Amino acid sequence: MAENQVSLEMHGISKSFPGVQALKEVDLILHRGEILGLVGENGAGKSTLMNILTGILHSDTGIITLKGKPVNIENPRQAQIMGISIIHQELSVLPNLTVGQNVFLGREPRLPIHFLVDWKNLYYLAKEHFKKLNLDIDPHILLSELSVAQRQMVEVARALSFKADIVVMDEPTSTLTEMEVKNLFSLIHTLKEQGISIVFISHRLEEIFRIVDRVIVLRDGVLVGSAPISQVDPKQLVMMMVGRELKEMFPKESLPQKEKVLSVKNLKRGKDLKGVSFDLHRGEILGLAGLVGSGRTFVARAIFGADPLEEGEIWIEGKKVQIRSPQEAISYGISFLPEDRKAQGLFLKLPLSSNIAITDMKELSFLGIIIFKKLQELASSFVNKLKIRTPSIFQIVRNLSGGTQQKVVLAKWLALKPKVLILDEPTVGIDVATKAEIHALMNGLAKEGVAILMISSELPEVLGVSDRILVMHEGLISGEFLRQDATQDKIMLCATGGANNG
Amino acid sequence: MISTASLKKGVNWKIFLRNYGIVISFFLLCLALSLVSDRFLTWTNILNVLRQSSINGIIAVGMTFVILTAGIDLSVGSVLALTAVVTASLLQRGLPISLVIITGLALGAVLGSVSGLLVSHLHLFPIITTLGMMTISRGLALTYTGGMPITTLPSSFDFIGAGSLGPIPIPIVVAAFIFLAGHFILTRTNLGLYIYSLGDNPVAARLSGISANKVILFVYALSGFLSALAGMILIGRLDSAAPTLGSGYEFDAIAAVVVGGTSLAGGEGNLFGTLIGALLIGVLNNGLNLLNVSALWEGVVKGLVIAFALLMYRAVK
Amino acid sequence: MKNEVLEGTIVRKEMKKMKKFVIIALSLVLVVSLVTSCAKTTPTAKKPTLGLVLSTLTNPFFVTLLDGAQEEAKTSGVTLIAMDSQNDSAKEASNIEDLISRKVDAILVNPTDADAVVPSIKKANDANIPVITIDRAANGGVVVSHIASDNVAGGKMAAEFLGKALNGKGKVVELQGIAGTSAARDRGTGFDTTMAKEFPDIQIIARQTADFDRAKGLSVFENILTAQPMIDGVFAQNDEMVLGAIQAAEAAKRTGITFVGYDAVDDAITAIKGGKLAATVQQQPAVMGKLGVETAVNALNGQTVDKFIPVPLNLVTKENTP
Repeated sequence: MAENQVSLEMHGISKSFPGVQALKEVDLILHRGEILGLVGENGAGKSTLMNILTGILHSDTGIITLKGKPVNIENPRQAQIMGISIIHQELSVLPNLTVGQNVFLGREPRLPIHFLVDWKNLYYLAKEHFKKLNLDIDPHILLSELSVAQRQMVEVARALSFKADIVVMDEPTSTLTEMEVKNLFSLIHTLKEQGISIVFISHRLEEIFRIVDRVIVLRDGVLVGSAPISQVDPKQLVMMMVGRELKEMFPKESLPQKEKVLSVKNLKRGKDLKGVSFDLHRGEILGLAGLVGSGRTFVARAIFGADPLEEGEIWIEGKKVQIRSPQEAISYGISFLPEDRKAQGLFLKLPLSSNIAITDMKELSFLGIIIFKKLQELASSFVNKLKIRTPSIFQIVRNLSGGTQQKVVLAKWLALKPKVLILDEPTVGIDVATKAEIHALMNGLAKEGVAILMISSELPEVLGVSDRILVMHEGLISGEFLRQDATQDKIMLCATGGANNG
Repeated sequence: MISTASLKKGVNWKIFLRNYGIVISFFLLCLALSLVSDRFLTWTNILNVLRQSSINGIIAVGMTFVILTAGIDLSVGSVLALTAVVTASLLQRGLPISLVIITGLALGAVLGSVSGLLVSHLHLFPIITTLGMMTISRGLALTYTGGMPITTLPSSFDFIGAGSLGPIPIPIVVAAFIFLAGHFILTRTNLGLYIYSLGDNPVAARLSGISANKVILFVYALSGFLSALAGMILIGRLDSAAPTLGSGYEFDAIAAVVVGGTSLAGGEGNLFGTLIGALLIGVLNNGLNLLNVSALWEGVVKGLVIAFALLMYRAVK
Repeated sequence: MKNEVLEGTIVRKEMKKMKKFVIIALSLVLVVSLVTSCAKTTPTAKKPTLGLVLSTLTNPFFVTLLDGAQEEAKTSGVTLIAMDSQNDSAKEASNIEDLISRKVDAILVNPTDADAVVPSIKKANDANIPVITIDRAANGGVVVSHIASDNVAGGKMAAEFLGKALNGKGKVVELQGIAGTSAARDRGTGFDTTMAKEFPDIQIIARQTADFDRAKGLSVFENILTAQPMIDGVFAQNDEMVLGAIQAAEAAKRTGITFVGYDAVDDAITAIKGGKLAATVQQQPAVMGKLGVETAVNALNGQTVDKFIPVPLNLVTKENTP
């Protein structure tokens, strides 16, 4: 039967980056006309694997076989020629060109005079192409006039215009509504009927169960499972994705106190926040779990005054406050470590000492003139306290390692002696040892009475460090667990919206 | 670990060139000029170069502040012209000199603040905003004077351009003071740190509780203020003020800043570099005159020398 | 003396510019109110209408030229629309286009650049509007007449004066205008050839450009003063540069230098009266403007006009200051 024809085989794929083994001996088989679900936590190696398949990265070891022939995929262009297309999470289409221009970008049909584009033919081809895909979009209109979902369809159409046999879709539904997802799925079925194989990457388990034929699970760069979707249930799948024991890694010491430090009520902001309420107590570490895009970061930014709120109240130590800017948040004793340290936290061209001191200059100056002795003492004290590995406090931050940089950002916020410390992905991309140091530090701060709100995508971290855990899904809190009641699958179910479906 | 020592050496050499490449270029140029012209290293000529560089230098200090925040100020030459003609006409009306100076400087600061407000609060692009300010200021200067120069200023005003403090001409004294004060602000004050941090990473700066708007407002106001100050020295030297004064000065100032190693992307650079950059341009103009280089070649020579100076440290970056 | 039509035109040009920067303009409420109060006068007439496009109005020379033209327009009863190109040939092109679409009867143009103006002149030719060039010629298109002073003759005049003043020997510095402009070229040629031919003992020790600019005249001459311990005379190709040079000489306390300028602007006349400047070649911009309007009216009345109408030059010294 045609279904069983092997279209693609990846065998023994390994890839390491400096300090990280991203993939270890991973095998993947894709049949003709098959929809394969690829799941795993953030950082499990899904993207690395797909980047190798599409020629963006090269594997250290391993063989890729296309329709029985071993191939060497050098670059994305070559992958396209071989019939492998990828649709990225972030759309790469150009909004100011027409739909047709986007589809044939870089491969426009030419007139006999070679450098002139045959526009008529281009739009004709686009139209024919759309017809095959059952798409009703006029190729003449500008892409910017389309909805996000329609743009996604154009992206799919573009990918298929390369005569692709294999289409990789990386989180294609993350920005779509239910209706739009339905349309996309019917398109996927159309492709399947035409014998095209699809690798479908998604965090939404419910979709995985709806659309895929077979699922494979990656964890820490290793293939941990592969099964027809009919033979697994959501709980088993989640177990496969997160199942690991890390009890010693997250030593837990603090005991939460009863006193409320921060309360938020009904925070609302468009699609991002649809009414979030919770309390944070002195000495408590509150974990905030949820998938990327669930609104976790928006909660943090709203409390910190980085984004304006449409509705909602913020109470600090029993007093209602208005926070309109980070400055005001800081004045109420709130610190916020943003998720992307390079883009939002660090001053890469400035020395370590300035990076740490910058939030606290009022204390470190007299009449606006910096008292360097105080500044250097502060920086040195944090270098010692956080064990920041640096040749000197004057080292330019750009030259420090990722983990060290994260400690610098942390030091910047600790210099303010905050009452409330919000940490967004405090250990992302950080080696295990430094991670443990940061967790120990958080415990220490909680003991001193600091209230900590920690956002993390890594479930073991959330479970290991938090006293209490909130789970977010699509702008709402979808679950709350005490430390002792929480398990990874319970959290994962809430985070993927699975809890609602039973 | 074998390579650590050699690596370190390499890095040091690179950093040395990056930090001092422009200084080396500058001294090479001076050396070359002193070899071909016996007049170059005379006291009068050194004073000449310093005096001629003082106007561009003062403007370039303000420009450095603006560029450090990743902005740019194209309006400096026109603001200079507008403040100069207003100052000159107030002087001719016989107002007290100190009052006129304060008014002129304040006008410069206000014009700069307008650009600053538009950039900070309305988030307009600095290049467009200051281009607008450039056109408007020039237009106002022309309308205000009807296109005619204002001449014969009260002789008591001459000291600002032609007077001297001991052996040192006033323009040089003023420029030196501005460089020192600017250096102090950039390296020793909260404001200086905020300027660097804002240019380096505006998002992080805002999230660190820095009031970015105030900082931006300050740098543009300072740039306007210093343009006005440079304008006063210029009209003191010329004993007249024309609405066409200062056209093209923005390029000299930007050149001094960039040649001095300040990054147009912001967050990186210092006034020492700008000082050398301004002096390099001054020495170059002076040298071309001393050597009687034909007008037709002047542009070519200038461009080559500046390109060489830039290459000296870009090459190792 | 300031003419309302002129005021209005300049101001309208400014307003156009401001439109590009509406927000900025709004913040300068003061400016806008000033502008609107001035911009009310618009020329309306059935009499012949002449358009006058000037390369710049920041130079007093052209302001005087405009005054002369305006006076003549008044006496001969024609309407004159004056426009300022602000030394920008693109602006000049749009100015001329505006005049063509307003269907003026003749266009007087003082080009910013001899080549850049050609397409605009051709457009006027196509619209059957006669064109007269003033002060600077055009390198193409059909031009009814060119009205200008003879800059080579002016340079010659300056050389003869300076040569006699120095008794036929000494060291002379020449400050040049913007490299490549015809004024700089012609004045230089006239001066240099006359010096070489008639005063072989006079040595031109430095030729440097100061871009017709006073501030540059100052700093360039400062540098030349250090390079040259002996200077007897200076010829600058315009007064702005010579005034800057005088300022430099005074500051350096160098005396005994005979300065000669060109253009006879008000400041230069004052300097001659004060004994600082020995002479300046006077073009007669008012006459030039007057002749321009006159020639245009003659041509419109069907009279034949000369292809080139020279405007007499005049050497101003202490003896004959106006």
